[in-house]
Amino acid sequence: MNIWKISLRNIKSKPLYTLLSIITLSLSIALLIGIQQLKSSFKHQMENNLSDIDLVLGAKGSPLQLVLSSVLHLDNPTGNISYSEAMKIGSNPLVEVAAPVSYGDNYKGFRIVGTTKEFNSFYETKLTEGRLVEKSFEVIIGYTVAQQAQLKLGDTFKSSHGLIANDLDFHNDLFTVVGIYEPTQKVIDRLILTNLKSVWDVHNHNHGSHAHEEEHEHENSDEHKHDVEHNHEHEHDEVHDHEHEQGDEHDHEGNEEHKYDDLEGKEITSLLISFRNPIALLTLPRAINKDTNMQAALPKVELDKLYRFTGIGFTTISWIAYIILVISGIIIFISLYKMIKERAFDLALLRSYGASNGQLIRMVSYEGFLIVCISLLIGFIFAKGGLYIMFNVLESNQQLNILQELPVAQLLEIFGLVFLMIIISVALAIYPIIKMNISTILSNEK
Amino acid sequence: MVKTENLSFQYQQGQETFNFPDLNLNANENLLILGKSGIGKTTFLHLLAGLLKPSGGKIALNETNINDFSPSKLDAFRGEQIGIVFQKKHAIQALTVIENLKARQYFSKSKIDESFINSLLEELDLLALKNRKPQQLSEGQLQRLGIAMAVIHKPKVIFADEPTSSLDDENCEAVIKLLKSQADNYKANLIVITHDQRIQSFFQNTIEL
Repeated sequence: MNIWKISLRNIKSKPLYTLLSIITLSLSIALLIGIQQLKSSFKHQMENNLSDIDLVLGAKGSPLQLVLSSVLHLDNPTGNISYSEAMKIGSNPLVEVAAPVSYGDNYKGFRIVGTTKEFNSFYETKLTEGRLVEKSFEVIIGYTVAQQAQLKLGDTFKSSHGLIANDLDFHNDLFTVVGIYEPTQKVIDRLILTNLKSVWDVHNHNHGSHAHEEEHEHENSDEHKHDVEHNHEHEHDEVHDHEHEQGDEHDHEGNEEHKYDDLEGKEITSLLISFRNPIALLTLPRAINKDTNMQAALPKVELDKLYRFTGIGFTTISWIAYIILVISGIIIFISLYKMIKERAFDLALLRSYGASNGQLIRMVSYEGFLIVCISLLIGFIFAKGGLYIMFNVLESNQQLNILQELPVAQLLEIFGLVFLMIIISVALAIYPIIKMNISTILSNEK
Repeated sequence: MVKTENLSFQYQQGQETFNFPDLNLNANENLLILGKSGIGKTTFLHLLAGLLKPSGGKIALNETNINDFSPSKLDAFRGEQIGIVFQKKHAIQALTVIENLKARQYFSKSKIDESFINSLLEELDLLALKNRKPQQLSEGQLQRLGIAMAVIHKPKVIFADEPTSSLDDENCEAVIKLLKSQADNYKANLIVITHDQRIQSFFQNTIEL
């Protein structure tokens, strides 16, 4: 028999109080942890996905929309811009990397992005299997796409028109998976990457005859088999192709004029740009907005704006969680206080048995902290379970895979806050013990 | 051994002062203190048991002067040397009979001695009830549990505050006999305060307040 055992017995003898205290406290802890985790995941995700993209060049419209669509791949694009016009900006000496983004289609809701090899330099992802895109209608898929659309190397699929999954409006061109990226927790996980030509070709074919499209489809699949079987024989050709393609798209110093002539009338959705020097941030956006019919959006600025908007929501829910925490603190205080008042005679008896004030305080504190520890555990499980259900059972393709582990420091902060509150309510509840007049209580026995 | 000198108590400054007669009990002697309600019987007992601080006078229990003890020393002394039987409440509600007795031993800083607890419960006819909670016991059983709680740590002085007032004649006699035999077992002084005239015949030393 010791103080701990007596505390345990006391808790067990008041199951209703104990249960009420545990339920309210664990609920508020779950809310606090859940909110903090969502908040920090959201922030982390936003910052993570910006990567090194300093500027997005796109059609005039909402800069936030442009950033959301071209950087986070969430919203609809603003419109198209001329590829040759965009690449003129992209060839500015202040620009380090410029990667075009061209939308058009999706597969099961995952966006097919026509781009160049520069795109991956923003994300620095490695291929887990396969190779890079070498010709049209070859794609590399992100990890989430491979998992959820159940695509593997060599699989082919037809794209649907637009950015939303649908079964009615699809193209007959067959895309072939030639590579799969490793998981990154970044936006590239849920993208299907191909070259610009594929996106342009898909929409050109639309104008052709139906028969031609079917023919083309056969050609494509034949070609695909051919590739797989005789990969090595054609290596030389492919390398040559590859070099040529690169030259086509990125040789800014060389035959610039000639290149843009070829691309006359070709359009892209946007151009993602990183700068060699932050000075460019001061001059280039202003110049673009003033001198061209395109707009320059700064992802960091736009997402800060977005974060401020959504921050209000997070703040409100956080406050609600704190209020619930205070309420549960009050409930714990009331139940402990009531327990102490009701048990006044028991406590006085313990004093007559030789228990010191300190021992009684320890006893009551143990009861409070036992309830807190159980609540913390249950609250933690609630929060984890709740978020798991939110993100796995209710998951859709459009959803960012944003859930990050809550930093230990923040978790400790929440736990510290809970303990502080419990210390206050236990201290208030204990006060009558210190003031207790044993003699008076014992002589009033009924 | 219990000795008091000029013991007085005042609840608040300016209020009526209770003056108590001097006691001088040798080892193994028992005492019955009789008196009507409201004349400070329980106050006297609480002073003797160290639950209240006297306003004046001296108390010596077992040749130790408890007047000058610090509160924590008084707690420890009470736990080790004193046993008190209360009128109605005898044990902690949340604990079973055996847990109560273990807790009593724990707070008196003596070793938890389960075989001694069992033999005492056997003697008081409570062994079969040792896993029950106090609220599941009858009046007579509770009173016997109260006696067990007062002697389980082998005290030097046993106080009893109206131990028989709610009992019928038969139980009354049984309880007094038990108290006396337990006090004899541990060579302790037994001091009973009561207004119950029925038990006067069991004591040689009687004082009236």
